[in-house]
Amino acid sequence: MSIIDTVSTDVLIIGGGPAGLATAIHLADTLKLKGLNHRILLIEKGSSIGSHILSGAVIKSDVFKELLPGVDFSEIPFNARVIKDKTVWLTENGSISFPFHVPYMNNIGNYTASLGKICKYLALKAQEKGVEIYTGFAVDEILYKDGKVIGAKTKDTGLDHHGNKLENYQEGTRIEAKITIFAEGTRGSLAKMLIQKFNLNEGRNEQIYSLGCKEIWSVPQGNIEAGQIYHTMGYPLNSNEFGGGFIYGLNDNKVAIGIVVGLDYQDPSFDVHDAMQVWKTTSFVSKILKGGRLVEYGAKTLPEGGFYSIPKMYVDNALIVGDSAGLVAMPALKGIHLAIKSGMLAALTAANALAKNDTSEKSLEQYEALVNNSMIYKELYPVRNFRQGFTKGLILGGLHFGTQILTGGAGFFGRLKTHPDYQTTLKLSELKAKPFKERFKGKLEFDKVLTFDKAFDVYHSGVHHDEQQMVHLHIKDQEKFNAVNIEEYGAPEQFFCSSEVYELHTSKDGKKELRIHAENCMHCRTCDIKSPGDGITWVVPNGGNGPDFQNM
Amino acid sequence: MALTIISLIKQVPLPSEMRMGEDGLMDRTKAKSIINIDCQFGLEAGLQLKKQHPESRLIVCSMGPGSFDASLRTAISMGYDEAYLLSDRKLGGSDTYATGLAISTMLKHLGFTKDSKEPFIILAGRQTSDGDTAHVPSQVAESIGIPQATFVESVKADGNGNVIAKRIIEGGYQMMKLPMPCVISLTPTGIPPRKPSLSGAIKARTLNITTFGIDDIGLGTEKIGISGSPTIVAKVINIVSERPPITMSAGHNEATLVDSMIANFTKGGNVLEKKEKVTKADTDRPDFPDKDFRDGARGIITWAEITNGKISRPSLELLTPARNLANQLGNDTKVLTLIIGKDIQPLAQTLIEHGSDEVILVENDKLEEYLVLPFASIFEQVIKARKPEIALFAATTSGRELAPRIGMKTDSGVTADCTGLEIGEYIDKKEKVIYTPILESRRPTYGESKLATILGFVCPQISTARAGTFEVPVRVEGKKGIVSNFKPVLHDKDFVVEIMKTVRGEGGLQNLFEADIIISGGRGTTNDSLGLIKALAEALNSQGINTEWACSRPVVDEGVAEYARQVGQTGKTIRPKVYIAVGISGAIQHIAGMKESEKIIAIDHNPKAHIFHNVDFGIVGEYQDILPELIERVKAGFTFGIEPKKK
Repeated sequence: MSIIDTVSTDVLIIGGGPAGLATAIHLADTLKLKGLNHRILLIEKGSSIGSHILSGAVIKSDVFKELLPGVDFSEIPFNARVIKDKTVWLTENGSISFPFHVPYMNNIGNYTASLGKICKYLALKAQEKGVEIYTGFAVDEILYKDGKVIGAKTKDTGLDHHGNKLENYQEGTRIEAKITIFAEGTRGSLAKMLIQKFNLNEGRNEQIYSLGCKEIWSVPQGNIEAGQIYHTMGYPLNSNEFGGGFIYGLNDNKVAIGIVVGLDYQDPSFDVHDAMQVWKTTSFVSKILKGGRLVEYGAKTLPEGGFYSIPKMYVDNALIVGDSAGLVAMPALKGIHLAIKSGMLAALTAANALAKNDTSEKSLEQYEALVNNSMIYKELYPVRNFRQGFTKGLILGGLHFGTQILTGGAGFFGRLKTHPDYQTTLKLSELKAKPFKERFKGKLEFDKVLTFDKAFDVYHSGVHHDEQQMVHLHIKDQEKFNAVNIEEYGAPEQFFCSSEVYELHTSKDGKKELRIHAENCMHCRTCDIKSPGDGITWVVPNGGNGPDFQNM
Repeated sequence: MALTIISLIKQVPLPSEMRMGEDGLMDRTKAKSIINIDCQFGLEAGLQLKKQHPESRLIVCSMGPGSFDASLRTAISMGYDEAYLLSDRKLGGSDTYATGLAISTMLKHLGFTKDSKEPFIILAGRQTSDGDTAHVPSQVAESIGIPQATFVESVKADGNGNVIAKRIIEGGYQMMKLPMPCVISLTPTGIPPRKPSLSGAIKARTLNITTFGIDDIGLGTEKIGISGSPTIVAKVINIVSERPPITMSAGHNEATLVDSMIANFTKGGNVLEKKEKVTKADTDRPDFPDKDFRDGARGIITWAEITNGKISRPSLELLTPARNLANQLGNDTKVLTLIIGKDIQPLAQTLIEHGSDEVILVENDKLEEYLVLPFASIFEQVIKARKPEIALFAATTSGRELAPRIGMKTDSGVTADCTGLEIGEYIDKKEKVIYTPILESRRPTYGESKLATILGFVCPQISTARAGTFEVPVRVEGKKGIVSNFKPVLHDKDFVVEIMKTVRGEGGLQNLFEADIIISGGRGTTNDSLGLIKALAEALNSQGINTEWACSRPVVDEGVAEYARQVGQTGKTIRPKVYIAVGISGAIQHIAGMKESEKIIAIDHNPKAHIFHNVDFGIVGEYQDILPELIERVKAGFTFGIEPKKK
C-alpha cells in the first residue's frame, strides 16, 4: 500500500473561488476555440463550492459578460441591484451623511450578491464545459521536480493529534500537472510557500491586510430596502485605524452588515469582532437591525497593499491569480471583478502555453503583460499609494489621498512602503492610547439580541473540524511565544481571532498559556498575518473542514 | 478465489436536521444527506479487510431513491470498486421486512447466494439513524439463508474461508468464527471511516452505477412497498423531554464557573414545565365490521434469555407487558415462555412464579450459549406448533437479531425496541373494516424525539421491548404452571458458527448501583489516567458521601479503566442521585446508561458537545481547571446537597 496514488492533468487549479472558477471557465472556452482538448482539474478545500466564500458583496458586474459571453445576464444569481448608495460618518451618538461620493466608491448600478452563490453558479458553468471539480480536498504540499513546480499533493488523512497514523490512514493523492494555478484566495497557504521559495515579492512592498467580519440578518419589512447600501466611516474606529462598516440591503428582507479593519492597527487588544458589535449599537445601525435576527456569521481577510504589493505572479509551470496575488482595488475594496479578470488572463496565458507545449517561465511571462494592459492595471495603478497613505492615520491619509488624485496617484513622495501587519502591533508597555476594553467600557456586554459574543456568532457559521487530526495552527517557537506574545503583547491572538480559536488561560498559580480551539477556525488567516513576531503559521486542516457558509 | 466484500449502505438525513412529514414518514427533501454513520463503519471494515486481502473486490449496494447515488459515489471515493442501487417507486414505504427481502433479492440476482462458489462477506451498519431498528442485516441473512453476526466491532478473514468477528454483547463481547458467506453488521465503535481520497473521487465521478428496478431483479410487488409490508406506521407523536433544559454556568475562570454551578445546583436548576396534554376527543368510530386477522392464532410467547446461567433481567421484565396484553385480550389468553439451553429445568419455576402460564423447555447441550441460527430455527418450529398471536423478545443484542430473523421466516415483520405495548384496533378506511384485536407497538424514533405506533398484520405479531422500560413482575412463590418439553429438529448447518470466546464483565463494583454520587470520566480525561476524577470521588468519600468513579467506553478501550466501571449501553445502567460526566462527549450509548440519574452535571471543553442536551447543569471548560476547584469546594463542605453519613 506504499505506492502513492498519482493523477495526471494538464492544468490543476487550486481553489474554487471567483478567480479559480474564472480561470477554469475561460481556459475551457479558449482551448475549445483553439480546437484543443486538455484536462482541467479544480480542487476546493470547502465541503462544497461556496462554503468557504465570503464577501460583502457589491460586485461590478461587467466582467461577467466578458467571462460568460453567451449567457443571459439574468441567469447569474445576483441579489438586489444597488439603487441607493450613501456614505455616512458615524460618531458615538450620531451620524452625518456625506453630501458627495468618496472618489472610486460610487456603486449605483452594481449588484449586491452572495459571492458563494455566484461561485456555485460558476462551478456549474465550468462543469458544463468539461472542467472536473472536486470539493472537500485539502492540498498542503507543492510538488517540485528539478526546482520547478510539477503539481501538488492532497493532505494525508487519518492522523491523530500527534501526527501518528491511525488505522484509517490514507496517504494523499499526488496531482501532477503541466500548469498549476494558485487561486487559494487571501493569504493562500501554498501561494505563501511559493512566494517565499521563489522570492516572488522581491522589490515589492509587503502585503498588508484587513479583516472583515460579517453578519447576515433577517429584518422586519421596511427596515431597509433591497438595493439600498451604506458605507460607514468613523466610530468605533479612531483616526489611527483604517476601515469602516458596510450595510447592504438584500432581497427577502435580509441585510448583510459588517466592518472591515486594516490589520496595521496598533492596540494589541483590538478586537474586530467586538468592534463590530459596538458598531451595531450606534443608532444608525441598530435601527436597521431592530426586530431582526442573526442568520449567519463569517469572517475573512483581504489583501489591501494594492499595486506595489503584487508579487511576481508566474514561475515555471505555475501562475497566481486573484486574492492570492493581492488583486484588490482600494479604496472601493473591490476584488471580485479583478479576480475574475486575472483568472481569464491566466487562462489565456495557460492556453497559449499549452498550445505551443511550453509552460516555462518565459512562456508564462505573457500573463504579467496581459495584466498590465488590462483594467486590473487601470484600476490599481492610479490608487497605488492609496492604502499606504493611511498607515500614518486617517487625517494624513485623507490629505495624501487628495494629493494622489491631483497627481494621478503618485502623491508628493512617490512610492510609499509598507510593513507587515504583525510588526505594527505595539507592546503593552508601548501603548499610550486607551486599550480596547477601556475605550468601549460598558459596551462589551453582549445582549444576544443585537450584539453577540464570538462563540455565539461562530455557532452561526456552520464551522466543523474533524476531531482526529493535527492542530492546523502552528506556533513556531513556543518558548519565544510565551515570552513575547503572551508576556509582552498580552496575547493579541485571543482578541484578533475572528472565531474564538485562541484562549489565554491563567492558572491559579498565575501561569499563562495560550490554548488553541482549532475546531472553531473560520480559515480567515488573521493569526497567520497579525501574530507578533510572525508567531503562528496557518496550515490547511482536513478537506471539507471549516465553515459552511450558506449565503455569504 | 478472490473474496468479494459487499457493503450495504443507506443514505440518511443528517441526524441534526431530521424532519418528518405529516404522514409520519420521513421527509428526506429538506435535510442534507450523509451515509448513515453505522454504515460508514461497515464501509471502513470492508476497506480494512481489503488491506489484509488486497485481491478482494469491494462492492457497495443500496436501496432508495436516485439521490442515493451521491452516497454510493462517496463509497467509491473511499476505495470501493463497484456500486449498485435498487431504486423503484414501488418500493416506497417498505418496512424492514420488505427492505430486507428486496435487498437480498438484488444480491441473489447479482449471484450472491448461499451456494455461491466464490466466497463473500456482506457488511452492514448495525442500524440506521432514521429507523433505529437494526433489523435489515438479520433479514438479509435469513432471506439469503446464510449465517450472521450483528453488533460487531471488528472483523477479520482468517484465510480459511472463515470470518472472525468481535461481537458486542451486554456486559462484554464474544469472539465468533463464521463460515463464508455471511452477514456482519458493524457498531459505530470500531475503526472510524476514512476520508475519501482524491484519486477515489476522480474514479467515482465517471463510474457507472448500475441501477435496478424491481422488474430487473425479478421481484414482485406483493411483498414490498406500503401495501406489501407486513407492518405499518399507524401514528407518530412528539415525545416531551423528561429532563428540563440545562442550566449553564457563567463565569470567566474556573472559580467563577464553579461558583455559578454551585449556586445553580443549590437553587435546583430548571423545572420541567409539564404542558397539559390536549386530548382530542376520539373521532367517532366508524360503523365498519370488525375483522379478526389472526386466523386462529392465540396466546403470547416470550423468549427467556439466559446469561451466566440465570434468566436475564430484561427477559423477566418482558413478562409484565405479556401479562398485560393477555389480560387485555381476555378469553383466557395464555403467556408461554420458551427457554433454550443446557440444564435449564430449574429455571422454569422462576418464570412461572413471575407470570408465565407455561414454560416450554428445549434442553440441548450444544445450546448453552445463544446462537442465532439454531435459536431462530427452534423458535420457528415452536411457533408452527403452538401458533401464538404475539411473540415478544427483550431488545438485547441477541433479541434484536433473533426477532427479525424469525420475522423473516414467518413473513410477519418485527417492531424494534418498544417502550409501550397495548392491544388496540386499526380502522382501515380503504377496506372499510376494523382490524381488532391488534398489537400496538410503540417505539421512540428519530433520535428519541418521536413516538411511533407500529402495527403488524401477520401473526405472530413480533416486537422487541427495550430493557429497563418495564418492571419485573412481582414474584408469586409457589405459583403453579405447566412445564413442557419440546424436541426440535436441528441440522448440522445450524451449528456452523462457532463461539470462540465469551467475555462478560464480572458483576463486580456493585457499589456503582448503590453510590449516591458517581463521577465519570471520558476520552477527554485519560491524560492523567483519570487522576482528577478519582481525586474528586475520594474527596467526596472523605466527606462521608458514598461516591464511586466510573467511565465511558473509550476509557476502557484505552485500557485506563476496567470494564466493570463502564457506564452505557454496553456497560452498566446506573441511577445515582448525582451523576457528574467529565470530558464525555455524550454518545447516545453513554446517555442510555446514565439518563435515569436524578441530577446530572456535565463538564466539557466543547460547548457543542452532545452531552449538554441531556443534563441539568453544564460547565464549559477544561476539566484540568474545573476539577481542582471543585475538589476544594468539596473539601470545604459542598456535597451536592447530600447528607453525609455519620461515621
